[in-house]
Amino acid sequence: MKGNNGLKLFLVFALIAVMTYICFAGSLFGLVQIPGVNDIVPGIDINGGIDAMLYAITEDGRKPTQEELDTAKIIIEKRLDKEGILDRNVTTDLNAGRIIVQIPWAQGETDFDPDRTLKKIGRTALLTFQEVDEENIDEDGNPLPTGKKVLEGTDVIDAYPAQHPQTKGMIVVLELSEKGKESFSEATKRLIGKRIAIFMDDQFIEAPVVQEHITDGNAIITVNRDKLEEAVKEAKDLADTIRAGALPFRMEAKHVNSISPLLGKGALDVTIRASIVAFLLICLFMILYYRLPGLIASIALFMLAIMTLNCISWLGITLTLPGLAGIVLSIGMGVDANVIIFERIKEELRSGKTIKAAIDLGFKRAFSAIFDGNMTTVIVAVILWRFGTGPMISFALTLIIGVILSFLTALSLTRTMLQSVSDLDMARKTWLYGVKEV
Amino acid sequence: MVDLMGKSKYCFILSAIIFIVCIVGFLVNGVVLDIQFQGGTIMQIEMPDDSFDTELAADIVKSAIGKTATVNRSSTFNAANEEERIHLMVLNIASEETLTDDERMAVMDALRKEFNIAEDANVSVNSVAPFIGEEFRMNALKAIAISSVLIILYVWLRFRSMHGLSAGVFAVLALVHDIVAMFAVYIIFRIPLNESFVAAMLTIIGYSINDTIVIYDRIRENMKLMRRASYRELVNKSVLQSFTRSINTSLTTLIAVVTLLAFSVVYNIQSIREFTLPLVVGMISGVYSSLFIASPLYMMWQERKLSKKAALQKAAKS
Repeated sequence: MKGNNGLKLFLVFALIAVMTYICFAGSLFGLVQIPGVNDIVPGIDINGGIDAMLYAITEDGRKPTQEELDTAKIIIEKRLDKEGILDRNVTTDLNAGRIIVQIPWAQGETDFDPDRTLKKIGRTALLTFQEVDEENIDEDGNPLPTGKKVLEGTDVIDAYPAQHPQTKGMIVVLELSEKGKESFSEATKRLIGKRIAIFMDDQFIEAPVVQEHITDGNAIITVNRDKLEEAVKEAKDLADTIRAGALPFRMEAKHVNSISPLLGKGALDVTIRASIVAFLLICLFMILYYRLPGLIASIALFMLAIMTLNCISWLGITLTLPGLAGIVLSIGMGVDANVIIFERIKEELRSGKTIKAAIDLGFKRAFSAIFDGNMTTVIVAVILWRFGTGPMISFALTLIIGVILSFLTALSLTRTMLQSVSDLDMARKTWLYGVKEV
Repeated sequence: MVDLMGKSKYCFILSAIIFIVCIVGFLVNGVVLDIQFQGGTIMQIEMPDDSFDTELAADIVKSAIGKTATVNRSSTFNAANEEERIHLMVLNIASEETLTDDERMAVMDALRKEFNIAEDANVSVNSVAPFIGEEFRMNALKAIAISSVLIILYVWLRFRSMHGLSAGVFAVLALVHDIVAMFAVYIIFRIPLNESFVAAMLTIIGYSINDTIVIYDRIRENMKLMRRASYRELVNKSVLQSFTRSINTSLTTLIAVVTLLAFSVVYNIQSIREFTLPLVVGMISGVYSSLFIASPLYMMWQERKLSKKAALQKAAKS
C-alpha cells in the first residue's frame, strides 16, 4: 500500500516535470517538438500591429456583395504582398459588409506606419493595360509602367478563367465594354507581336503578347504553365486580379486599432510580473492557512498554470493582455475548488473522523458545489467568446481553459497527492490540516 | 451561535445606499461611454519628455483638421529601460465621424512641425466609427441578456429541491446588486464604459453566483439533516458554516485580481486597469451579497410563506 502511494506521488511529480519541461523548452527532451510557451501567438495588443475593419465606400452607400468583398480582399492581399507584409490575416465579414485586416508588427521593423499602410491598401484599385517599352524593363525582364494606357480597369466588364476549346490550355477570357472595345481594337491592330503589360497600381501582373487584331471586345490571355493545376490556379488568380480592377469602390478603415510594439512590450512585462506575484501570494495564503493541503494545492496550482499555457499553445489561441489576465483570474478561481474541499475536510476532522475518511468525504461532499460554480463561469465565458471582439475573445478562451483545467487538477492531482501523502506516518497530525488535535 | 440573520437589516440599509448612490450618480453624471461604444479616435504619441503644452497641441489639431481634441499627458512602463518611463501625448477626439487615415496623417504632420517628436516615435491609434460602436454596444447588451437568462435557468434547475424558483430569483438579485455596485463606481468616478467593463461584468455574473451556490448547496444539504429547524436556524447555520469558505474563495481570487490592479496602476497599463478595477469591486460585492443579501432574503421569503400557510390553517380551523 505504501509502495503504491510512493509510485502515485512519483508519477504525479514526473507528469508535472514533463509538462513544465514541454512548456518552457517547446519539445519533449529534444526528441519530439511540442509547442510550448514560446510558441504562443501574441496578440496585437502585446506585440504591436494593426487591427482594422475596412468598409466599402460605395457611391450609393449600399453594402458590397460577397463577390465584391472577395475581390476587394484579393486587392488588399496583393497590395500587402507588394508592401512586403506577408504575415497578416485578412478576413471578410459579409453580414457587416467589411473586411478585417490584422497585421502583427514585424520584428525589427522601424518604419511602422499603420496610417499610410491602411491608406494604401484601401484605395480604389487602379488596373491598367499599358504599352510596353522593351528598353524599359526591370532586372527580371518585366516591363515597367510606361503610362501609355491601352485599357483601364473600368473598361473590363468581366474576366474569368476557361479552358481553350482547341489547345485545351488554360486561358483568361476578358469581356470589354463598348469604350474598351474600341481602344483595344486600335491598340491590338498597332501592337501585333508586341507585349501589352497589365499593372495593378504600379505593380506588374502579366504581359501577354498580342497575337491578332481583336475587334469584338473579347480578348483571350493564354496562360503558359507546364502543369495543368498550376495553369488553372494561375488563370484564376489573373482573372481575379483583373476583375478587382473593375471594382467601383475604395475601402476605408472605420475601425483602427494600432498599437506600437513598445507599449505592448511594457504592458506584457508588467502583466507577467503581476501574474508571478499573484501566484506566489496565493500559494503563500494557501500554505499559511491550510498547511499541508495548502502546499499540495500550490503544487496543483503550478501544474494548472503550466497546463493552461500549454493548452493555449497547443490550440493556437492568440494570447492578449486580457487573455493573460484571464489566466491569472483562473488561477485565483482554480484555488477555489481546493478551498471548498479543504474547508470540508477540516469540518469532517473536527467532527472526529479519521484523516483518511475526512479526505474522502471532503472530496465527495464538495463536488456538487465545485461543479456548479465552474459551470456558471464556463457558461458566461462561452457567451463572451461568441459576442466579444478582439482581445476579449482571448480572455474568454483562457478563462474557459483555466476553469476546466482547474476542475480537473483539483479533483485529480490534489486528490491523488493528498491521499498518498496522508498515508505517510509523518502526515498523520491533524494540525497539518489546520485543525487542533481532537 | 451568532445570529447573523437578525442583523441583516443593516446590510439591507447599506445595499439600499449603494443603489441610491448609483441612481443619483446616474442622474447627475450620466453614463460616459468609451470611444469603443460611442465612436471617436484616440491617438497616443510617444514624446521625448512630459514638458509639452497640451493646449497648444489641441489648437494645432483644431487648425489641422478642424476637429476638437482633448489632449492629455500620460506615461507608462518602459520595458526597454526600467529607470525611465515612456511619455505620451494622448489625443482624444470623440466626434460623429472618426478620423480618416488622411486626417490622422495631417494631425501627425502638424504636430511634428511644432513638437519635438522623434521620426520613429511610437504612435498607437484606436479609432471606432460610431456605427461600429453601436454594433459593439448591442453585442454587449445581448451577451449580458443571454448570460443572465442562462444563469437563472441553471440556478432554477440545480435548486429544485429547495424551492428553486425563489432561490434562483434571490441569487439573481444578488447578481444585480453586484452589477449595480460596479456601475456605481464607474458612474461616480466617471470612468468610460467599454468592452472591458462588459467582460468584467460577465465574469462577475459567472463568478459571483458561485458564492451564492456554495451557501445554497449547504442549505440544501442541511435541509435533510435538520428537518425540525426553522428557516431562520437553517439559513443562519448554513451561512455560518460556509462563511470561511465563501470569504476564502473570494479572497484567493481577489489576491490575483488586486495584484493585477496594483501593478497596472503603478505602471499605468490602461487595458489591465480598466479590466481589473470593476472585477475587484464586483468580487467584493459578490461575497457580501451572497452572505448578507441573497441568504436572508431567501429566509424571509420562506418564513413569510410558512406564516401565511399557518394563518390559512388557523383560519380554516376556526
